[in-house]
Amino acid sequence: MTTDVEKFGTRNWGMIADLDKCTGCQACVLACQAENNIPINTQDRVERARSISWIRVERYWEGDFPDTKARFIPIMCQHCENAPCEPVCPVYASYHNSEGLNVQVYNRCVGTRYCANACPYIVRFFNYWDPVWPESLRNHLNPDVTIRSRGIMEKCSFCIQRINRTSRKAKSEGRELEDGEIQTACSAACGTHGIVFGDLNDPDSRVSKLKNNKRAFTLLEQFGTDPNVIYLAKVDPHKKGSEEGHH
Amino acid sequence: MDLENKHKDNEAKSGIFNLPKLPFNFPKLPIKLPKPPPPPTHLGDVELPKTLMYLLPIGGLFTLAFVGAIASFIITAWWGQPIPVLGFEQTFDQPINFPHTVHASTKQLDYKDADGNVMVGLGTDCTFCHRTVNKNTAAGANAYIPPVNFCANCHGVIGSEDNVQLNILRDAAGIIGEDGTSPINWRRVHRLPDHVRFVHEPHIRYLSANPEHIKGETDGVTTGPSAVCSTCHGNVASMEKVYQVEPLKMRQCVDCHRDNGAPTDCATCHH
Repeated sequence: MTTDVEKFGTRNWGMIADLDKCTGCQACVLACQAENNIPINTQDRVERARSISWIRVERYWEGDFPDTKARFIPIMCQHCENAPCEPVCPVYASYHNSEGLNVQVYNRCVGTRYCANACPYIVRFFNYWDPVWPESLRNHLNPDVTIRSRGIMEKCSFCIQRINRTSRKAKSEGRELEDGEIQTACSAACGTHGIVFGDLNDPDSRVSKLKNNKRAFTLLEQFGTDPNVIYLAKVDPHKKGSEEGHH
Repeated sequence: MDLENKHKDNEAKSGIFNLPKLPFNFPKLPIKLPKPPPPPTHLGDVELPKTLMYLLPIGGLFTLAFVGAIASFIITAWWGQPIPVLGFEQTFDQPINFPHTVHASTKQLDYKDADGNVMVGLGTDCTFCHRTVNKNTAAGANAYIPPVNFCANCHGVIGSEDNVQLNILRDAAGIIGEDGTSPINWRRVHRLPDHVRFVHEPHIRYLSANPEHIKGETDGVTTGPSAVCSTCHGNVASMEKVYQVEPLKMRQCVDCHRDNGAPTDCATCHH
């Protein structure tokens, strides 16, 4: 009989974000804010560049005028295998667990902000203030997620509370986890099913199959961070010289 | 003055203390320190008694004892549970004195029922009232306190009509009184820090399947979730007023997780 410790760590959580399906609707951003008890980004906080959003949809322009195209790319914590944020933490608050997640332990964090400086993707956020919600939103808070107090770092956790809950449910029912059973808040909210979450170690999972797509790329590959978030490039039939344009 | 004379000079100055001699004089400080005042012998015109000299060290001992008591309080509170004084008791006065003995114990009790017979505990399983505790639902993370109506299902009929505590419940359930139903503000006894995500269900599931790891005992109950609960909550069935038995520190969690092959990854509980 294998113990939990032996079973633990046989999985490697990963995410596929298909940019061809991304419409930039920001539903993932909203779902993430609601799921993970992220404080409301008021105008004051945004103006000071201290807003917190674990996932953001970045817009950029491609091509020269008049052939410019708006492009969208959702950017969340890439859960790098060689994460630059991990070795710089003096208290091991940021560490890599055996399921491929880059975990932020809130109660260990002392708020040095080294990790945010080391992260090339700018997906780590510092709580400059205690989070405040209006009284009407008191009951919307997710009881499965810690409310981060002032002075600590936070970032996308791949909705680890959902991973834990679904794994627990599968175990209490005495079965293995099915592929696609775990949905992160962003993947569940994505209207075009552009975000897929799953186990990269399982060769039959959807993410493993999509990973081998020739459109697959990772962000800032030159840094060698080996992210677990894999993007699928936009298919552009009108783009001159593009492979997809010819067929 | 040559070196030898200097030594003699030092010796003369040193007085009663025969300190080892140094081959040089200490350089004088550039500032003159004020002389400490002589110990007081008079308070106004009154001569202070010499017994004060004996009292002073006793005062020191009292100070030491006071500081030691505070230090030991902090250390015990840090290591386990605080010493139950000055409001640090791990229990509360609840709006209704709910006796777990009557409901959960199987032993003979000190209570007498309305007919004057000695009562015996019901021996109800914990999950009869704390229904969500072994369910894998969002509410299952906590062993919830049942709603008032659940209590009133039985106590609308059971229990004498002039029982003060039960009448508080019947009033809250809207059986007696005019002001309709209202919830009871129970006070939570077992509380974990906000950064811990504890779920009861997997623990009950594991210990039910592996009863050899159960610690503690319950009054007469040896099977089912009731026996499992005693591992962390102690013998609740014997408590008139529930109090926290185990300190419920992370040390205990990790020790038990290691012994039973459960994951000790930080993200298991902290996320």
